[in-house]
Amino acid sequence: MSAWNFIKHFPCNNLSRQILRVRPHCFFTSSTHTSPFSISTSSSSSWFTESLAVPYLSVRIHCPKHFVDPFSEALLCFGASSVAVDEDIEEDDEDATSGSCFVSKEICIESIFPVDQEVKMCISQAANSIGLKEIPKFKVEMGDELDWITKNQESFQPVEIAERLWIVPEWTSPPVAEAVNIILNPGFAFGTGEHPTTKLCLLLLQSLIKGGEAFLDYGTGSGILAIAALKFGAALSVGIDIDPEAIKSARHNAALNNIQLERLELHLAPSENSSSGNEIPLRKAQFDVVIANILLNPVMELADHILSFATPGATIGISGILSEQLPNVKERYSPFLEDISVATIGDWVCMSGTKKRS
Amino acid sequence: MAAAKEILIRRAVAATIRLTVPAGAARPAPPVGPALGQYRLNLLAFCKDFNARTQKYKPDTPMSVMITAFKDNSFEFTVKSPSVSWYIKKAAGVDKGSARPGHLTVTTLSVRHVYEIAKVKQTDPFCQYMPLESICKSIIGTANSMGIKIVKDLE
Repeated sequence: MSAWNFIKHFPCNNLSRQILRVRPHCFFTSSTHTSPFSISTSSSSSWFTESLAVPYLSVRIHCPKHFVDPFSEALLCFGASSVAVDEDIEEDDEDATSGSCFVSKEICIESIFPVDQEVKMCISQAANSIGLKEIPKFKVEMGDELDWITKNQESFQPVEIAERLWIVPEWTSPPVAEAVNIILNPGFAFGTGEHPTTKLCLLLLQSLIKGGEAFLDYGTGSGILAIAALKFGAALSVGIDIDPEAIKSARHNAALNNIQLERLELHLAPSENSSSGNEIPLRKAQFDVVIANILLNPVMELADHILSFATPGATIGISGILSEQLPNVKERYSPFLEDISVATIGDWVCMSGTKKRS
Repeated sequence: MAAAKEILIRRAVAATIRLTVPAGAARPAPPVGPALGQYRLNLLAFCKDFNARTQKYKPDTPMSVMITAFKDNSFEFTVKSPSVSWYIKKAAGVDKGSARPGHLTVTTLSVRHVYEIAKVKQTDPFCQYMPLESICKSIIGTANSMGIKIVKDLE
């Protein structure tokens, strides 16, 4: 596609302002870079980026201020994955020559498109649909995967869950050395300690584990609960997750906390598509404490499964549910649990009870 | 005094982000990752929150989310069900509306479909106080603009 195709569409008197800037290395067709790039950060984070290094196109569009809202909605309808509008009005340095009064009426939108999307067509359709007379100026680049991944990792700080219980990112030293410190590489598996549900589960665990118990973490994510249980004194922790990335993350975190392999087992639960039977290699009725911090639907569907792993009299904790979803969960589990109690932080709840003995 | 001051200070908004995410399937990968990562928002917290709040929708329904990112890296978001035109296309089993709406009718839908769509739309935060009848009328209007006729009963 040559630049001349674009320029044909623009009214002549605005030609000087509307010249399309296309960076020489950006592509509209689907031939994209798929080679995995090497990362200068520590090797532990390299597998995160391999699994998340889906290429994407990052597009900056200049749009007249009063059209921003309808234009954003229109872009989403026509194929953009996301549209972000900065609240501060951006001044594009390359555009400074054309007069500042013009620029202040425009807002810069950052949009993300899938790599195989026809960006120009999408933008022109969106502009047409809201009645913009000219196609807005835009600039397309290959998305910088490293940028957002590292930004995300930078934002993790040590979290104090309770007195003398801290969750510390791998690259920080623990603020309170004598406390129980769980070292994590937060990565992209759920369970950094910051979320209310993780906090609720950790507090529950702290109150339950007296020493020597067998603990099952259903939906282990980063392994935070399994590791915490061992640190509190449990004899054995088992973590199950359907996401292989989570298992990798949990294994890595276990190593960071110097947990021996015999004390922490990790299993990949078969998802619906896998053909290898439905059995996880664990004996039933083996665990004294079972916690499942997932989401409403899995927790409801897997109720029997989760309950089957607990010994009679064991404590079961269910979280990852909103307070409005609690009645459903209570109804599902109350035939099997007694002494049900609920802890709440904000909109999130954790329900716990003991498995009936009969 | 300090407490009063806190109530009066509103958090400064850094950006507004609009996204389409499949219900119950938010993950920290693109497009969620880069869009939110740029503003240093907690990706996992958003994914968990979003997935929990969209549990009641059929998996992979494309939900439109509007996130307000504040300068202190906190955020709020609202989730809207897919656009009416998406529901209509799904119900009719077509990929696109008519090329010439008003002149060319692509397919038809029954009043029952309109009613079901209206019921889902009424759970949207913006439509909760609208009477069902107005929502239905607006759905019929959208369908007409797509070249899809609404009939009382499908034969």
